[in-house]
Amino acid sequence: MSGSFGRGIGSVNSTRDFALLRSPVHSVDARSKWVVTLAFAVTVTSFGKYDISRVMPLFLYPFVITALSGLPVPAVAKRAAAALPFILLVGVFNPLIDREPMAGLGPVVLSGGWVSFISILVRSTLIVSSVVLLAMTTQPDNLFAALGSLGVPSALVVQLQFMNRYIGLLAGEVERTLRAHSLRSPGKGGGVPVLVSGPMLGGLLLRTMDRGSRIHRAMVSRGFDGAVRTARPSPFSPRRDGLFICAWLAYFALARFVDLPGVLLGVIGG
Amino acid sequence: MRGPYIDMKGLEYSYPDGTPALRGVSFGVGRGEAVGLVGANGAGKSTLLLALTGLIEPSSGVIDIGGTVLSKGTAPEVRRRLGLIFQDPEDQLFMPTVFDDVAFGPINQGVTGEALAARVASALESVGAGHLADRPGYRLSGGEKRSAAIAAVLSMGPEILLMDEPSSGLDPKGRRGLIDLLAGFPHTRLIAAHDLDLVLDVCPRTIVLHRGEVAADGPTLEIFQDRALLERCSLEPPLSLQGLFGGRTAADDVTLGR
Repeated sequence: MSGSFGRGIGSVNSTRDFALLRSPVHSVDARSKWVVTLAFAVTVTSFGKYDISRVMPLFLYPFVITALSGLPVPAVAKRAAAALPFILLVGVFNPLIDREPMAGLGPVVLSGGWVSFISILVRSTLIVSSVVLLAMTTQPDNLFAALGSLGVPSALVVQLQFMNRYIGLLAGEVERTLRAHSLRSPGKGGGVPVLVSGPMLGGLLLRTMDRGSRIHRAMVSRGFDGAVRTARPSPFSPRRDGLFICAWLAYFALARFVDLPGVLLGVIGG
Repeated sequence: MRGPYIDMKGLEYSYPDGTPALRGVSFGVGRGEAVGLVGANGAGKSTLLLALTGLIEPSSGVIDIGGTVLSKGTAPEVRRRLGLIFQDPEDQLFMPTVFDDVAFGPINQGVTGEALAARVASALESVGAGHLADRPGYRLSGGEKRSAAIAAVLSMGPEILLMDEPSSGLDPKGRRGLIDLLAGFPHTRLIAAHDLDLVLDVCPRTIVLHRGEVAADGPTLEIFQDRALLERCSLEPPLSLQGLFGGRTAADDVTLGR
């Protein structure tokens, strides 16, 4: 259990703080944001494995959403970067497998493996950013309730809602445990030795389960019957949400079927 | 004569490892009465409150709340009349904001729209926490968390308030504010506490639990002046009464310059 893991999971509560902000993006209905995010992911993944330049216009989406929502760019980038090790792991063998020369950058010749690796990196960054923005601009309960109204079975929605609460609990417990550990192991750089991390993880699991059952009791004593209802469901506004969905779907279609970078270069080159 | 509003007879409960927690607990609480429930750690106070809300099932005994015998089938109906305030307010604040937390119970009762907003605002105002509505629960101070947790229960319009260590973690000012608040409630109140001064200020009647049994039940002042009883039950007189026993008090320590 490293310090970075603790810091990562500790950022869960601050992600929720961002979801409570008010902005044009925050006020969009959660269902609309799900639809646009899914359409974005489908568009990004629909490009060929060697396409890089064609995908670049899609960076407009995370940039515009970040700007309109008033979220700090470093906060979004930090959360999106958390997935980087997994993305690198997925594509890291491509340069070894596919050695066919494909593109030249001056004297440097890139093999197909390197091009597809960069393409995976770019596309994954786009998708992860869009999901991070979805989480940072939508209250968790609205996010999951929207899934229910989009047809996802309620049993799954409730599981997701509980998982979301459990992650919050875990985040708090990890934060407290790591703080207690670092105070009693000065000069060790904040890392937790492997021998200690086992019992520590076990203790964490037991404490969070105990706390989880107390919270469940608190919910049941206040009338919880298996469905989490939200006090402030984000109402669907045909004008606002219609514009949000149509504008972005139109742009994704444009970026998918028209070579925007090629058109732009053609215009610049006369 | 009307019977007690909360009436329990012969409650028995053992933890899953077999340790007995309640051994034949029987007592009644009248409508609008404020009763203190005191006892050492492990005396069975929290277990008793959980049993009263049907969150744990006693192995034997009967609980009657306002004429309804508590069972699995009647538990949802009984819970509508009861408000349980947990020892750790963080256990009760699980929604994104204080507003959502306070609204959680009324929504489950079917309250929506403007009626819901009014119910939440009224509950928050009654504990002086109207300004906290949009704050996330995990960002509040201890006293604010306690106020929000009480508002979350009051918003359901309970007739009975069950409280588990309501003053734990509060600073002196927050504790005083809580005592004034609790003393002013019209609800039937059963307050489990180690803070005997709070019990003395709020509850005219006190029940002492010792090893899962009722060791005493009577006027609070009488019980807190019975030093032998308190010592037998691993308790100490409240600070405000300690001078009456001729022992050393906090004030004496100050005078002696300790």
